[in-house]
Amino acid sequence: MKTLQTFKAFILPLLAVLVLAACSDDDTTVINDGEPFVVAFETPSGNLSEIENNRDIALVYSETATNIGQVVITISSSNAIYGEDFTTIPAADGNTILLTINEGETGASVTFNKLNPSLDETVEIRFNISEVSYPNAQIQGNTSFTLNSSASLGRSFAPTVGGPNEQNQVYIDLSTEKQTTYQRDEWDLGFYSGSEFRVAINGSVYMAVAELESTDIDAVSSSDVADIQAAVAVGTFDPANEAYVDHPDGDINKTAISAISSNNADNKVYLLNLGFEVGTETPEPGSVAIAGAPRGYLKIRILREGDSYLLQYAELDATTHTEVTIEKSPGYNFTFFSFNSDSLVNVAPESELWDLNFTVFTNLIDGAGSYGFSDGVLHNRKGGVVSYQVESDGYAEFTFENVQAANFQQDQRAIGSNWRDVLEGTLTPDVFYIIQDPNGNIYKLRFLALTNDDGIRGYPEFEYELL
Amino acid sequence: MQLSFKKTIFFALLATLFCESLSSQNEQVRDTLQPEQLEEVVVTGQINPQAVNKSVVEVKVISRRDIERQAANTLADVLNTTLNLNITPNTGTGKSGVSLFGLDSQYFKVLIDNIPVINEEGVGNNIDLTLINLDDIERIEIVEGAMGVQYGANAVSGIINIITKKSSRNDWHITAYVQEETVGDEYEWFDKGRHIQSVKVGHNFSEKFYANAAYFRNDFGGFFNDRKGEDWPFDDGLRGHEWLPKTQQNVKSLLSYESSNISLFYRFDYLHENIERYGQNVDLNPNPSTGTTNPSARDEMYTNNRFYHHLNATGLVFNQVNFNVSLSYQEQTKDLERYTYRFRTGTKESVESGEYQSRSAFFSRGTFSNLFRSEKVAVQAGYELTLEEGTGSAAAITIAAGDSEERQQLDFYDFFTSTEWQVTPRFSLRPGLRVSTSNLFAPQYVGSLSAKQTVGEDWEFRAVLGAANRTPSYQELFTYFVDVNHDVQGNPNLVPEKGVSTFLHIKKNSTFSDTFRMKNKLSFNYLGLEDRIELIVVNQTPLAFQYNNIDQYRAIGSFLENEIYYENFKANIGVSLQGISKVLNSDTQSNDDFLFNVQLNSNLAYTVPKWQTTFSLYYKYIGRQQQFVERTNEAGDQEFQRGETEAYSWLDATINKRFIDGAFVASIGARNLFDITEVNTTAFQGGAHNAAPTQTPLGYGRSYFIRLTYNLNL
Repeated sequence: MKTLQTFKAFILPLLAVLVLAACSDDDTTVINDGEPFVVAFETPSGNLSEIENNRDIALVYSETATNIGQVVITISSSNAIYGEDFTTIPAADGNTILLTINEGETGASVTFNKLNPSLDETVEIRFNISEVSYPNAQIQGNTSFTLNSSASLGRSFAPTVGGPNEQNQVYIDLSTEKQTTYQRDEWDLGFYSGSEFRVAINGSVYMAVAELESTDIDAVSSSDVADIQAAVAVGTFDPANEAYVDHPDGDINKTAISAISSNNADNKVYLLNLGFEVGTETPEPGSVAIAGAPRGYLKIRILREGDSYLLQYAELDATTHTEVTIEKSPGYNFTFFSFNSDSLVNVAPESELWDLNFTVFTNLIDGAGSYGFSDGVLHNRKGGVVSYQVESDGYAEFTFENVQAANFQQDQRAIGSNWRDVLEGTLTPDVFYIIQDPNGNIYKLRFLALTNDDGIRGYPEFEYELL
Repeated sequence: MQLSFKKTIFFALLATLFCESLSSQNEQVRDTLQPEQLEEVVVTGQINPQAVNKSVVEVKVISRRDIERQAANTLADVLNTTLNLNITPNTGTGKSGVSLFGLDSQYFKVLIDNIPVINEEGVGNNIDLTLINLDDIERIEIVEGAMGVQYGANAVSGIINIITKKSSRNDWHITAYVQEETVGDEYEWFDKGRHIQSVKVGHNFSEKFYANAAYFRNDFGGFFNDRKGEDWPFDDGLRGHEWLPKTQQNVKSLLSYESSNISLFYRFDYLHENIERYGQNVDLNPNPSTGTTNPSARDEMYTNNRFYHHLNATGLVFNQVNFNVSLSYQEQTKDLERYTYRFRTGTKESVESGEYQSRSAFFSRGTFSNLFRSEKVAVQAGYELTLEEGTGSAAAITIAAGDSEERQQLDFYDFFTSTEWQVTPRFSLRPGLRVSTSNLFAPQYVGSLSAKQTVGEDWEFRAVLGAANRTPSYQELFTYFVDVNHDVQGNPNLVPEKGVSTFLHIKKNSTFSDTFRMKNKLSFNYLGLEDRIELIVVNQTPLAFQYNNIDQYRAIGSFLENEIYYENFKANIGVSLQGISKVLNSDTQSNDDFLFNVQLNSNLAYTVPKWQTTFSLYYKYIGRQQQFVERTNEAGDQEFQRGETEAYSWLDATINKRFIDGAFVASIGARNLFDITEVNTTAFQGGAHNAAPTQTPLGYGRSYFIRLTYNLNL
């Protein structure tokens, strides 16, 4: 009993010390770096001529509101009169609109009603955030919203690339803020609509194509191509495979398929590797799963038929073939054909109506040949878009005066995959891009995200501004 | 500010203790460096437990006292000063492996009381040395070289056998200590530095029953260096830690029963570990509309849970046969919780949690010794049964997108026999053989042959030939990385790598006087691996890689170890020269020259009896390490060049002082006095996507510790 008491006397204080030392502080720390509450217009401008009857002008809060507050918006207009040419909901009192900030909301909106359908290019209507009543509020960001008929002043965009399978090709038109999305395996061959007779393969599904000796498509069988079949692919790490893909710089004269000749004897049969189906698996966060099952091979031969193309195609061992006449599509870069649907498909906007294409693409690596790239951003070379990369952290300060016209590149990979660091899984720090669209508008553009907040690839975001 | 204040307190404490120890004038002389006159008894690789100098196999022993002097808490601490063994910390995972004769942890087996310890990547091998706490152990036995006959698969480069304490001379014994340690110059009460608490209670219930229980907590705050920890909302790559913070808690207990014919013990060990990996990259999530940001980051929290049960019976049957049977069930599960951390609100979003890696095993090992009645021949037969099940999730190993995990059942049914034949009083031979059958591999046979000759009173010669195989890892079996550009695949048809080792030890014991003794040992070693698994090109167009049994590996070397006891001074001084050659049959233009590495170690201890104080120094020098790496030369051709990791040295110093008859023991010390954090290297090969690293992390700089132990024996 005595020993037990000694034991207690000694051990209990010790235990107490241990327990005390063991309980470290695990409470979460909230970082308050003095970030203000901001109310701003989602985008800085809108196109008046595109409004038929009304449109919503969205306002966003920098964080979910936890208090009640108020926003005062001032309207100023030239060549348009409130009440006659347009009205708003909520209605303006004089030239001000009052909006209430409610708890739990992340934004609000003002509805613009266009009463006069014939408002012309001289009209400009501006909405200004002039006052925000809310704790720690600050007026910054898109403090005004302009409605006129000029090119967009810029905005931010989250192209719907589709996540880690990157299944979509997303076409962006900066001046009209338009985004058009197609799944990247909806087409196989692009027949050039310009003066040249050229045919492009779909690099976004990693197709490859090799010229054969024969000019008789029905005479070619799988035994004729057995030797080269495995090599006619992307990513084989054989530098010679560059010959099997269209040059990624976008020059129409560098397609893997030679120019289609008016002399039929010059138009050889080609072995076409159809690449891969769009992947459907969900990879680990930060990775992509681009390629699904292989799509197999076809033999094709393309001829001219007047001002059109004549496509012949068949399975490798078939002794007959299918023929399709494909006309050029004025106003578009290409006429697209799909073997899946055996038909022409419309998978890109008109040539002048897109500037950037977010897409998987086939690139070339020095010494390693063709290599499948994800997260690509290609500018519309064939539509006359040029761009270049600026290595600087001075995006905000960059103005029209800083543009170096000599730096503009034709190479559609000027943005390419340079904007992200694939190993780190982050954006390339301190780069931004200057883009000139077919109408001569010059934009600066920088990327905001490669992944979503959960680290999942295929959720890019960027912002741009008219210079 | 806070840091420097805490540091002041810490060093003030250190100073007080140090002065105290110098001024104290105790007369009692109990702590001595002279080895106990009873020769150390070892069990590793023995037919019957016997004195270390009688063992045919060469066994190194690290005693409880050595461990305490070093204030070592885990196996990683204590092995860092051992010759030939290098500790290889992985700052990315928080684990510490071992490298011996150039081979990594996959080839090295860690046992507790003769049975392998589980971890999430292996049974016995791939052990994280920081997870093996040393509070309840009696000694550590180390055998270099292949020990496949006695200990089965993966005991290729060597084994460590940790012998726990199973009895006490006292009715009650209680030990508790607290240890505070800086991590480099980082220290705070909670978030920085290392904080250790331990308590252990043992009791003899009767003559026959003994029990003990221990609790250990090790809170490592991580090594920040220039990094800023969790709450750093800036996108400058400084968030998180250079060495991951982790907290370990370990509960152990033992119940033993001893009678004249049978001894039983049951040992339980539960380990819980949290490893915190805060994402280095902060996503600012700028909102261009409002011009504001909402920073977030991706964090990964790992949790390890290890359960260890071991029931052992030893005894005598038929008045002759010694049996030793162990039954064990162990499991270790590493779980991963991933989430997006939102700085402004301090909330976790998109929380995902699941199993990362796991192993569980039912294990039984039995040996039956002295099967025949003979003075000269001792025959042992034994079995070993391992029923192992493991999983690796997609986060842990590279498998096809969409597959959530790989699972493998690996069962070994092994039988082994070993004979110790005392040919003459001075010469003994020890042949051994193991047959290993399993559900995955064809039967494997490994053999061993050891011989021992003594000459005169002082000379011992040992020749040890051993063999062991290494089981392919999950990475090698299951990797699947195939996309348009890549084709890298594991190989389910891999067979175990085959290892053979030969050691020759020449030992001289010299006694010059009662207080001056010396042991010198010169060893020569050879270790070879066949069927080494390597990732090789199996197809050129398209380029495809697969793991295959193809290469060879050789390590040859020699090392000299000396122990000197002179009055109150003890020294262990060693030097080792090891050469490694890799025959890469997988590569068309490889270079199989031997590349040599020199190591020195010197552990010195001096006791001042009247102060009851021991001063110790631990020094280790690791010479430059070379490795062939494939690089592009100036002409643009690929060639093999010698890459090199620079030489470096470790130096630790400790002072131990006993107070009030050993009721209190204080230790203070400094680790890594040369302030090593990383060493330059050109020995890594870059990949297709990444440049080779130019530095390899080794330590977190000069650190100080203080430990206060309380002992109560009743």
